Amino acid sequence: MNRLKGLHLEPLWWGLFSAGGVCFAVFVPAAIIVFGMLAPLGVIQLNFDQISLWFSSVWGLMFIGVVICLPAFHAAHRIRHGLHDLKLGGGLLSVIICYGAAALTSTAALFIWFY
Amino acid sequence: MEQQKGYKQELRGNWWLKHTFFKRYMLREATVLPLVFFLSVMLVGVFSLLDSVQFEAWQRLMAHPIVIVMNILALIAAFYHAFTFFELFPRVMPIRFGDKLLPASFIVAGQWIAVVAVSAGFISLFLHFGGAQ
Repeated sequence: MNRLKGLHLEPLWWGLFSAGGVCFAVFVPAAIIVFGMLAPLGVIQLNFDQISLWFSSVWGLMFIGVVICLPAFHAAHRIRHGLHDLKLGGGLLSVIICYGAAALTSTAALFIWFY
Repeated sequence: MEQQKGYKQELRGNWWLKHTFFKRYMLREATVLPLVFFLSVMLVGVFSLLDSVQFEAWQRLMAHPIVIVMNILALIAAFYHAFTFFELFPRVMPIRFGDKLLPASFIVAGQWIAVVAVSAGFISLFLHFGGAQ
């Protein structure tokens, strides 16, 4: 299930998991603090024009990468193996659902940036 | 692989409840759940940037008490994940200067400094945005 026509995919999943793990630890807390706490509590005022201008810059693309895409693949890997630990699902179906959801999430976020 | 014959012990789904070490392992694995929540609301936020009315609706969603509580949980999960993840770095990749090994505590502290620096930079950027209005 980790091979696609002789191609070993496990190093790819593990690499994305590892990179996403760094992002989850280093970059995600900053995004949670700003968008999940300080902005809703009124400490930070989010201005639509400024945010969309910032988002459409290369910083926005980096933000998507380190706060959405890589953590999504990190989450996918943990859920896939977590399901195995809980003796649920497993096999090719888990692989397709987990990494498929991460790939869809990433594609959707990147689509908005390029849109 | 040869088919195993004879006695085969069965592993049930609750094996991890039998030892504190396994429970801690599963707690670390569970940090993914609030992360998935945060990723979902962030994805909605990215989509809301298409239109200012949608963006205001997203801000109201983020200000909902349940969403705030879930995001606080996500932050705690991120810190717990970071705590377990940063310990691994000096084990996987020990840093040497000549024949001297850099103490693991230095590497762990360095990573926490990175977290603080990134958070402080990001917060100040958005505080500056607010001030520029």
